[in-house]
This record gives sequence, C-alpha cells and structure tokens, in this order.
Amino acid sequence: MTKVGIIGCGKMADQHAIQIQRIHDTLIVGVCDNEPLMARQMAERFNVEKHFSNVQEMLDTVKPDVVHITTPPPSHYPLAKTCLEAGRHVYVEKPFTLYGFEAEKLIALATQRGLKITAGHNAQFTHAMVRMRELINNGYLGGNPIHIESHYCYDFGDASYARALLGNSNHWVRQLPGSLLQNIISHGVSKIAEFLTGDNPMVIAYGFTSTFLKSIGENNIIDEVRVIIRDENNTTAYFTFSSQIKPVPHQLRLYGPKNSIIVDDDHEILIKVNDKEYKSYLRYFIPPFQYAKQYIGNFSGNFKKFLKRDFHLPNDAGLKTLITSFYDSITNNTPLPLSYREILLTSKIMDEIFKQIKK
Amino acid sequence: MESMSQNDYIIKQEDIILITGANGYVGSKVVITLLEYGFTKLRCLVRTDKNIGNLHQIASNSKAQVEFFLGNLLSREDCEHAVKNVSVIYHLAAGVEKSFAGCFLNSVVTTRNLLDAAIKQPTLKRFVNISSIAVYTNEKIPRGGILDESCPVDTKFVERGEAYTFGKAKQDELVLEYAYKNNLSYVIVRLSVVFGPGKVKISDRIGTDTFGMFLHLGLGNTIPLTYIDNCAEAIVLAGLRQNIDGHVFNIIDDNLPTSRQFLSQYKKQVKNITSIPVPYWLWYLFNYLWENYSKWSEGQLPPVYNRRSCEAYWKRIRYSNKKAKELLGWQPRVSMNDALEFFFQYMKSAKENK
Repeated sequence: MTKVGIIGCGKMADQHAIQIQRIHDTLIVGVCDNEPLMARQMAERFNVEKHFSNVQEMLDTVKPDVVHITTPPPSHYPLAKTCLEAGRHVYVEKPFTLYGFEAEKLIALATQRGLKITAGHNAQFTHAMVRMRELINNGYLGGNPIHIESHYCYDFGDASYARALLGNSNHWVRQLPGSLLQNIISHGVSKIAEFLTGDNPMVIAYGFTSTFLKSIGENNIIDEVRVIIRDENNTTAYFTFSSQIKPVPHQLRLYGPKNSIIVDDDHEILIKVNDKEYKSYLRYFIPPFQYAKQYIGNFSGNFKKFLKRDFHLPNDAGLKTLITSFYDSITNNTPLPLSYREILLTSKIMDEIFKQIKK
Repeated sequence: MESMSQNDYIIKQEDIILITGANGYVGSKVVITLLEYGFTKLRCLVRTDKNIGNLHQIASNSKAQVEFFLGNLLSREDCEHAVKNVSVIYHLAAGVEKSFAGCFLNSVVTTRNLLDAAIKQPTLKRFVNISSIAVYTNEKIPRGGILDESCPVDTKFVERGEAYTFGKAKQDELVLEYAYKNNLSYVIVRLSVVFGPGKVKISDRIGTDTFGMFLHLGLGNTIPLTYIDNCAEAIVLAGLRQNIDGHVFNIIDDNLPTSRQFLSQYKKQVKNITSIPVPYWLWYLFNYLWENYSKWSEGQLPPVYNRRSCEAYWKRIRYSNKKAKELLGWQPRVSMNDALEFFFQYMKSAKENK
C-alpha cells in the first residue's frame, strides 16, 4: 500500500486526488493546506481521514510514503525540501521550481537521500505522446531528432483561470518571475528538453504583449513568445507560445534523420511522416490517401480505447500514467517516468527564456 | 417601490451599507434599488473595475455617497477595510467556477474572512447572505409537492457534480455557524432563476442545447423565476425589515410560467428554434445510465448528468413565495407578463446586434 499525502488543496489537488484514487493499492492518508477550511473541504469530499494546516504535522502524523505538492509555485522549493528532508518521495506540480538552481538542489537532495522526485509534466504522457514514445523507442525516427517544434499555446477566451488572472492585479501568477509563462510553458518546453542531448543549450527568446491584451489595457503580461534552441550536438528546436492563435495548438513535430512524426495533442492524433517518395504524379495521389488512412487509424484507435474505458481526457490520462509510473519507480525501483536531466534542462531553458524576454 | 418609513427598517438612510459583488448582475441592481430607497452611504466592494461604468454614472447622478472599494475578499485586510462602520452587509460575491475547490475558496473562505471582520463591527445590524434555491434537495418532495423554506438542504453536491451549489450550501452553513457562535444577526436569501435584460441564456431548467439540438426538458414544469428588479428589491428588504433575523427566504415571482409557455413565447418573440420534447422519465433514465457509466468507466465521462441533479432541476414541483411576501412585505413589482416581455425584447435585440 502506497500512502500518499497532498499539500495544497486547490483545483489541481482535486485532479491529483481523482487520479490517485484510481490507482490500485494506494491510499490518500492526509491532505494539508495553510487554509484549514480548504484542507477540511478536500478531506470531506475525498473521504480522507486526516487533514492538516501544518506540513510538518502531516508528515509526522500520517507518515506518507509520497507527498504531492500542488501549491502555488513559489512554495514548491521549500515544501519539497521539507518533505525530502523528512524522508518522503515527492511529486511536485509544474512548474517544478521558480529557478533552475532550486531544481538542481532538490534533485541533489533527493539523490543524496535515496529518494525520488518528479515534476508534474503530465502532458508528456497523453495518449498520443505515449504512442509517440513507443514509435521512437522502436527506431522510427532513425536516430535522435534533428529538429523539434513544440507549439504549446493558451486561450484567454473561456478559461476561468485567465479571467481571475486578468481581473486581479495581485494574482499569484503575476508575481512569478516568468508570470503567466512560468505557469504554462513547462509542458511545451519539457517536450523539447526530452530530446536534447547537450547539457547547455543555446537559447534565443523573443517575447511581447499581444495586441489583444494591449487593447484591454493589459501591458504587463507577455503572452507571445518565440524561442530558438540549439544544443551542443546541433539538435535544434523552435518553441512557440501564443494566446492568440486559433484554434489553440498543442502540437509537437519531431524531424528525424529517417522519418518524422507529428503529434496533435488537441485531438490525440499521431501522424507518421514517412521518407518515401513516389514517382511523378503518384506523389500527389498516394501520400494523401495514406495520410487519410492514418487519420482513420487514429480515430479507430482512440475509439477502441474509449470503448474499453481507457480513453480519459488527455490531461487526466497523462496525470494517471505519470503518477502510476512514479509510484512504480518507487515501489519496484523501475526508471523514473521523467529523467532528472529532462527536469533540469526544462528549468534551465525556462530561466533563460524569462531572462531574455525581461530585457 | 415601497414608501420609506424609518420605523419599518433596522437602519437609517444615512447608515453605511456594504454590498459585495456590487458589479455583478444582481449586485448592481441591488445598489440601484438601495439608491432608489434613499440610502445615502453605499460602499460597493468590487474585485475588478470591470462593469462599474454604469454604476458610476448612476451614483454620480444621485445625491448619495457611493464608494467603490476595489478589493478581494480573500484578503483579510480588504475585508477589515470594507466592513468599517457598516450597518448592513449584502453579501452577493460568490465563486462561479467549474471546480469544487475554486467555488469553495471564492464562496466559503471569502465569506469566512468577511464574517471575521464583520463580527468585530459594533455598528453591524445584519448580514444578508445571498444563496440559491438549488441548495435544497427535493428528493422527499412528491411530484407536484411544494418546495419552500422548510425543505432540507442537500448534502450530496459531489454526487450532483455541482461545484457552485456546493460552495453556496457550505457558505450558508458557515453563516449559521457564525450566528450560533458569535450571535451574528443574519438573513439568508435564496434566489430562484434570476432573469431579465442583461442575460441572454435560457435556464437549463427549460432545456439544453449541449447535444447540438435544443432538448426541451421542462415541458409542463413550473419554472422558478424571479425578475431582476423584483429579486433586487427582495434582497434589499431582507436587509432592512425588522424582526426577521435568522430567517431564510426563497425569492420566486408570482404567476410562474410553465417551461412550455416560456419556450413558446421565446419562439414567437426571439427566435423560432426547433426543440425536441424529452419526457421526464426518459431524461431520468438517461441520467441514470450516464451516472452509472461514469462510475464504471472511472470518470471517462464526468458525472455531469446524474439522478440527483435530474431530480433537483427537472422533477415537477411547485414553489412558494408566501414567507417572503408575509415577512419581508415584498411584492414582485414587475408582473411576470411584463418581465417576460422585457426579457424577450432584450434577447431579441441582443441576438440582432450579435
């Protein structure tokens, strides 16, 4: 039985609790929030026996094996440190930490204590991303990607989160070093970091406030970012964040030495781009037919999974896969779902993006 | 409008009144009604300066001192400032979010902060808590029975999948707890479906277009409506009337239309939509199947359709406004016929201007 504690009882904690309760042989033994009412309401809704408003008290009383930290980002580092020092494995929601150096310290501490830690990059484990990784492991790309394109965008239109953010000049997201970007882009950046082979990539970032935000009097939030990345081994990447592109894309394109892959996370579609040329006019007739076949294959694959009740919404599915793999790695000493290298590179690239766009 | 008599009310015209959520749909009408009643010192707590242009203009045309206080009820400091020297608090601000945690935070934690500040104010005479009739359970009410203030409040909002109502019910609980522990004078006002110019949505109690076509679910059910002006006046009176402390009032207008009548007028006056009538038993069966599938699939489809919410919104029951009329001395000023006329005219022009 894996005993779990959750620190931070907001919206994100609900999503964690729902997925944790779907995992066999796992029990949420305590929830904690510095607002006692929040801790109590969560304990009541999820039938958790104990709730706390003091982290140390929770750690000492219910002795969880793993602690999930779902608080606002500024508290991620001190809370994760406290939990690691108390001998608990830790799952930290994204963004992992505010700064790269904090990420390094946490990972060093976990390693030193023989504990495990992971980041909430659940978008890495959606249905299509899991299929993509299987293809890559089977050698489909023909080697490491030459170039990567990650589009991870955001819609201000209908999200209550955005309304709260835009309407409140003291919203905690505004206080983050990377503001809105810090709370969102780690998903898109980690998709690139996974495939970089060098440890010190060069980053060129350009950011600005969209015309839309300016038109409503918001000049302090940067919501348009374009980034170029190149590592020491010449793997390159483009990262795009926009609040204005419609429909809002969450896509990854991997260009390999042999073949390429397109992952459309908005529709859980994975398209293989084969390096096969047809002669003369056939190149205009056969490939479209083959692509159509692939789209139908995506439909039937998704639908079959749905019928087998195994097609939960992508972020929920990704969260469950990530949590399950993390618990497996703790219990059975299997590899971590996210390598420490990927977590550190993501933090490092984000630091560099924020540094450059602030200029 | 009622003629103002100092003896009828618990406060004087020059006493300070706080309205939280003053720039909301109902909140702004409450402010206007208080001005019409002749109150001269209003403090409007707003989270953003959005939608306050109209209120500013109305306030500047009146002789009253209307203070717009930009603050957040999650800040205890803002709450302390907001309640300073107030006599009545109309608490309309609420969390309208999809998540349970978000609604709880913005309805309950905010109310706790406000109450903590309010109980320290020696000038405070009443706390008016705005809630919703959706918090009741009608599980035990037979078909055709009456829902009134004596009906029990539901306790299973998670099963109903309703974050907003969960927040409202917990907020009501908190007010009762403070009343018991701190001798707080309070009134709880539970609103039915508020409608009028400024809103363009047809209530889900009538039907839904979620599935790409309009499913008419209400059929012959009476729809519990309250026109915005009537509703605002009832709220205002709940803060003023003597001898009503500790009471709960359901606010529902007279001469309620059936869903069929409402939809028929909508089709004639606004837009001739195609609607598919769905009998209650069939809708209930659909909810039953959805609920069970949701459980079986571990939430592959979220439990948004379920038997409890089906009963709460579409079971054929009747509604009473007797208590509000008797104790508040409230009468809906705008007749239902006029109210529907105004509403449909607004909807029509809103659709034409879209």
